[in-house]
Amino acid sequence: MKEGLEKKKLKEDLSKKILSNFKKNKFNFTDLDLLIDTNLLTERSGEQFKKFTLTYKDLFGKEISLRPDLTVSTALKYIQEKKNKEEKYCYYGSAYRLDKEGDLKVFDQIGCEIINSNNNKSENILINSILEPLSKIKNLEVILGDVGLFKILVESLELPARWKLRLVKNFSREEYFEDMLKRLETNYDLDQKAIKLDTKRLQDLEKLDQNVMIGGRTVFDIVKRFNKKIKDPRDNYKGKKNVKIIRDFFNINTSIQKAESVISSFFSKNKLNNLSINNYLKKISRINKEIGKKYSINFKTNFGRNTDYYTGTVFLAFVTKNSKIIELARGGEYNGLLRTLGYKKDISAIGGAINLNELINL
Amino acid sequence: MSKIKIGLPSKGRLKDESLAFLKSKNLEVVNSFGERNYFFNIKNDNEIDGIFLHAREIIERINDGTLDIGISGLDLLKELPDVYSENVKIFKKLSFGYADLVVAIPKDWLDVQNMADLEEVSFEFREKYGRRMRVATKYPNLTESFFLSKGVSQFRVVPSLGATESYPFTGSSELITDITSTGSTLKANNLRIVNDGTILKSSACIFVSKKIEKNKFLNRLK
Repeated sequence: MKEGLEKKKLKEDLSKKILSNFKKNKFNFTDLDLLIDTNLLTERSGEQFKKFTLTYKDLFGKEISLRPDLTVSTALKYIQEKKNKEEKYCYYGSAYRLDKEGDLKVFDQIGCEIINSNNNKSENILINSILEPLSKIKNLEVILGDVGLFKILVESLELPARWKLRLVKNFSREEYFEDMLKRLETNYDLDQKAIKLDTKRLQDLEKLDQNVMIGGRTVFDIVKRFNKKIKDPRDNYKGKKNVKIIRDFFNINTSIQKAESVISSFFSKNKLNNLSINNYLKKISRINKEIGKKYSINFKTNFGRNTDYYTGTVFLAFVTKNSKIIELARGGEYNGLLRTLGYKKDISAIGGAINLNELINL
Repeated sequence: MSKIKIGLPSKGRLKDESLAFLKSKNLEVVNSFGERNYFFNIKNDNEIDGIFLHAREIIERINDGTLDIGISGLDLLKELPDVYSENVKIFKKLSFGYADLVVAIPKDWLDVQNMADLEEVSFEFREKYGRRMRVATKYPNLTESFFLSKGVSQFRVVPSLGATESYPFTGSSELITDITSTGSTLKANNLRIVNDGTILKSSACIFVSKKIEKNKFLNRLK
């Protein structure tokens, strides 16, 4: 009991200090809604979201969830308040998630977010603000990644469009992604016999009014996709070779100081031409200049895959205690999230949060 | 020792085949209280109390301990949360009540052959219409797990109570999952099974409560 009260006091004192630090960096404190319309979450992340959120129905049958995450709550706040310029929010509160056994876990988080900023230094400001309160922790390590870099890699590969789409869309689902790589290695995803039979039926469909809906899809869409699919290169794309490139890419794990040259040489070695990579390299270079000397930072291409709304820079701060990793803070860029929650267009956004429960136990 | 309580399906082919199965094991069901009464006995066996129930109800009652043994469909147990499988054990798979739970799409979706296609179409659908594809089903849990295991995440389950095959053509869903034994009802409703879209191969089963797993009466059902 006494220990519980002490921890609570410690948590409150610590949160006050961190919040005042955020405010010094011009973040405005905001109170976030505890409940979220479940539909907003599932429309964005799919039905699987319900598996780890505590959801119930209100008197009118509408599904409501306890917020599983404070970034989503902040993004919803921005939309509800009809903002259209840069906002710098900071918050303190709990996120509620169900674990694999269905038990409720409460995470006390304190964090900040920058939404709709044109400043190309916003990721530096954000990462710095999150790492500053942790800077005195002994043996603190930081992992940095960039989800957008994987998209650039996939775009550079010689692959049918449908494979590129699959790889990018399922990047955050590691287990399924691995299954997909196996399928890509063997070029297995088409049934030639069925294609032959369906080609005959295609002629009937082509005679129909192309705007007619069949099971919610237009005849036009069905015919277009069928034609595109059968004209896709069959055996002449090198599944095995591409899978090897992807797997090698995921093995990149280097200090931030060497990241630019390692990534550059990876693309040249594999003869992957993509000019957009330079924007990513510049970003890494900016972060390196700003905080590369202050912290021990490693760049990992395979990092940041467990949250499906991240689109760019991702980071994690941790310490290792008795060979166990203790996560103290994490965050990342989520430039597509606000539109999927109802904002009129994609806007830039980056956020991060400190895990207070772990921090007070150090 | 208290009597063993057994539940049998109350209607349809599953009832008839369950009765025939018991008869083949020299266990004749007797409706001593009349045709419309739900309770029954086994001829020359005073240790058994029987009741006819809806197949779904049988699993519920074994789970809560009101029944010891029951015949029902495997699909019905698998649809329930995992905790049911801890209390309700499969004693024997029977050679009737065969049916597959499958993913079915409008037959004219020529561009969709397998679940990988569905995954791609579901992303395109969401991009175009700003909402997820709807899957009508009586089996929301099995459907959800299967779709996610095949990489299809952009979907929404629409619970159906019956006539699920009509949903894609009334605008209530884009596709369905349903139980089928021959596929003829799906075909008659202009639907086609996705190549790798078999979610579960089901049959009738004898289920027992975990409390009774070693009872000697069960030897007569082997």
